[in-house]
Amino acid sequence: MSALARLRYRLVKDALLPAALALKRGGKKSRPPDPLFGPPLKSTSDLRRIMARHYALASHAKGAMPVAWVTSGAPVELLRAFGFYTVYPENHSALCGARKLGPEISAEAEARGYSQDLCSYARVDLGHAFSGKTPVGSLPAPDLLFCANNICQTVLYWFKALSREYGIPLVLLDTPYLHGGRDEASAFAYVEDQLRRAVTDLERFARKDFDEARFLQVLESSRRAARLWGGVLETLRRRPAPMTIFDAFVHLMPIVSLRGLPVCERYYEGLLAELRDRAERGVAAVPGERHRLLWDNIAIWFALGPLARLFAEHGAVPVVATYTHAWAETAHQMDLQNPFAALARTYGGIFLNRDLAHRRAFLEALSREYAVDGAVLHSARSCKPYSIGQYDLKQSLRETPGIPSVVLEADMTDHRVWSEAQARTRLEAFFEALEGRGIGGSSDQGSA
Amino acid sequence: MTPPSRRAYALEQKARGRKVAAVFPARYPAELLWARDVCPVEVWDPPAGTQAAQAHLQANVCSVVHRALSLWLSGGTGAADFLLFSHACDSLQNLSTLVPDLLGEGRPCLFFYPPKGRRDDLAEGYLERQLEALSERLDEAAGRPREGALERAVAWGEARTRALNDLYDARAGGRLAASNGEFYAAVRACEYLWPEEAVLRLDAFRTERSGPSASGIPLVFSGVLPQPAGLLPRLDDLGVRIAEDDFIACGRRFVRGSLPHSGEPLPTVARRFLALPPCSTAGSPVPDRLDFLTRLAGRSSARGVVFLALKFCEPELFDVPTLAEGLRSRGIPCLVLEVEMGGDVPAQTLTRLEAFLESLP
Ligand code: SF4
Ligand code: SF4
Repeated sequence: MSALARLRYRLVKDALLPAALALKRGGKKSRPPDPLFGPPLKSTSDLRRIMARHYALASHAKGAMPVAWVTSGAPVELLRAFGFYTVYPENHSALCGARKLGPEISAEAEARGYSQDLCSYARVDLGHAFSGKTPVGSLPAPDLLFCANNICQTVLYWFKALSREYGIPLVLLDTPYLHGGRDEASAFAYVEDQLRRAVTDLERFARKDFDEARFLQVLESSRRAARLWGGVLETLRRRPAPMTIFDAFVHLMPIVSLRGLPVCERYYEGLLAELRDRAERGVAAVPGERHRLLWDNIAIWFALGPLARLFAEHGAVPVVATYTHAWAETAHQMDLQNPFAALARTYGGIFLNRDLAHRRAFLEALSREYAVDGAVLHSARSCKPYSIGQYDLKQSLRETPGIPSVVLEADMTDHRVWSEAQARTRLEAFFEALEGRGIGGSSDQGSA
Repeated sequence: MTPPSRRAYALEQKARGRKVAAVFPARYPAELLWARDVCPVEVWDPPAGTQAAQAHLQANVCSVVHRALSLWLSGGTGAADFLLFSHACDSLQNLSTLVPDLLGEGRPCLFFYPPKGRRDDLAEGYLERQLEALSERLDEAAGRPREGALERAVAWGEARTRALNDLYDARAGGRLAASNGEFYAAVRACEYLWPEEAVLRLDAFRTERSGPSASGIPLVFSGVLPQPAGLLPRLDDLGVRIAEDDFIACGRRFVRGSLPHSGEPLPTVARRFLALPPCSTAGSPVPDRLDFLTRLAGRSSARGVVFLALKFCEPELFDVPTLAEGLRSRGIPCLVLEVEMGGDVPAQTLTRLEAFLESLP
């Protein structure tokens, strides 16, 4: 790491970027109100600023501090304690998807032999690694890779490929898949041992001692952010919901990419306050909310806008999602007295790392808590772990808690597999069926 | 002698008083089952088609999982006393919970998670605990092993590994007069034969077929398994001799060379498990796989490597581009063919294979 690079980074962070972002804010014209939706969230402009700052800073981090590329389910708290700048390839791929760049960038990976059937987050990221294509200017090449296979095995294959491409080390946290509860203690002990080993590896890599006090601070911050995020999601229990899950998909970015940093906490404090205020005043994200829905699986990033409109046209409001809850459900397990064991439980026990019986119970619980009338199951073509089993989960939701659902075949970022017309037909039929059931009337009271 | 069919063999084993387990592979400690007088019958590519599974699985799930579920749905695993799923990938992982948790399988469903991406002391410790946990489940499903049974099973595992090594050595050294199809019929019978019988058959096959291999182009094949089924006779016709393989179902499932030992049986099983050749399903680093393939090519004097990339198989499809590039940079020609399970080989695949053969130096 060079002193000059550090100096440049500080200059950009403390002086140049704040000025540039302030200028940009001043120049931004507000959009005319859209009668389909309630007033836009004020926090969205803060979100844009924070994420723009994150990516802008990233391009100056190289050389100033070690840069790690991290999977979304990895315990980033360890890296923060060592002062790494962290980049989330999944988040970046989602961003590319939202800008409809998924196919163009993943084509770079496909040209190198990566099958079009593989996870499109991985393809986009590898495509970026091979070509440098990105909508955010540039991303710093990683010095280290940090991967936990708690969300899927795919991330391990993907990060192995990155490790070879960049010729850099991969720190892996192997988190055994949990079937029932019988072997949990042994699995968590294995994860805890690996976390301790990772500390030694990181000390060697970063050439500095582990700062436990800093680590605990980061952990505490991470826990607070996860609780705040949980609070944000809970406001959607209110009827009418003050924002939709489509909004939440976007506002999820800081908890994925910036947890453990003060900026993340501050952001969610503001968002929570705004949502509570909206809920108090009965401000609806979708005026005339009629149907409350559960969303399963990752967002269809390239179609968020059109889907939000289509849902709103039918008074259908997605109010809860398994995906967004993943970053809130385990906050209570972060026990600072026993941080390594707590991290092992928190990250080793996320719902994607548990069997489908757990997923079914999770869906049922969320359906009840958020008083939903139906569910939309996004079968993401290139995400197997999240999607295999959904056809039978649909059946199971019909039995308990007795709600109808529709399976939407799509993908996270690859719009080549998407047919908007087909999705519209399918969803409209589903909304009509919901109308036919006569549920979701305004007399139903949700509670926040 | 042609081995019996899996189904007939399973019924025969039951008639002999053994229990039968349907095993959804790839890698699992068979010794623990043998020790309890359980015959594991593996499910890789049953002729069950994929239709029955279509209501439960997306079309882009691999055919191993599609066929496995179709077999289960059609009652094809009916002879099994219990099911064992070994974690290999996201798709098999979800199948392992779909069957008992959402589709209502009432028989015991056992699950085994081998450590991924590491072979260090932590992985070994965890693997030993996993073996203990699996032993407990097996005790419940099939009873405790008799005195000395685990030691005997470990010795059978060793004998089978030796027999496979001998057979593979003979083939790599050009001392086996057998067609590609005959070779894999003999090797793949290990997927269900009782180990003592498997060893007898493997040794008998090697002795009977001892002699110079047919002249032809020696190649290394890599992939999940030798599919589509029509490929092996086509290779014979084209004068291609598979001289070594890196198939998940075959060459990646036995320790090459001498086996590690530990005083106690369970730690021995754990060490041998970790000594298996590098595999995508184990999250092995690409350089390890590259070295293994290079070694296979060298020891069998192969003129190139062919990857049979099974459609929708993530672990394999992620590794293949870097492996192919790595091999080429080491001067080893290679060809990547996307394949599906089934009968005949698509004409386009054959054309690409022929062009590759012609291009070999
Ligand atoms: S396979 Fe699914 S869970 Fe895994 S990285 Fe891709 S999108 Fe994420
Ligand atoms: S390893 Fe490949 S072929 Fe085997 S079950 Fe998994 S995806 Fe299918």
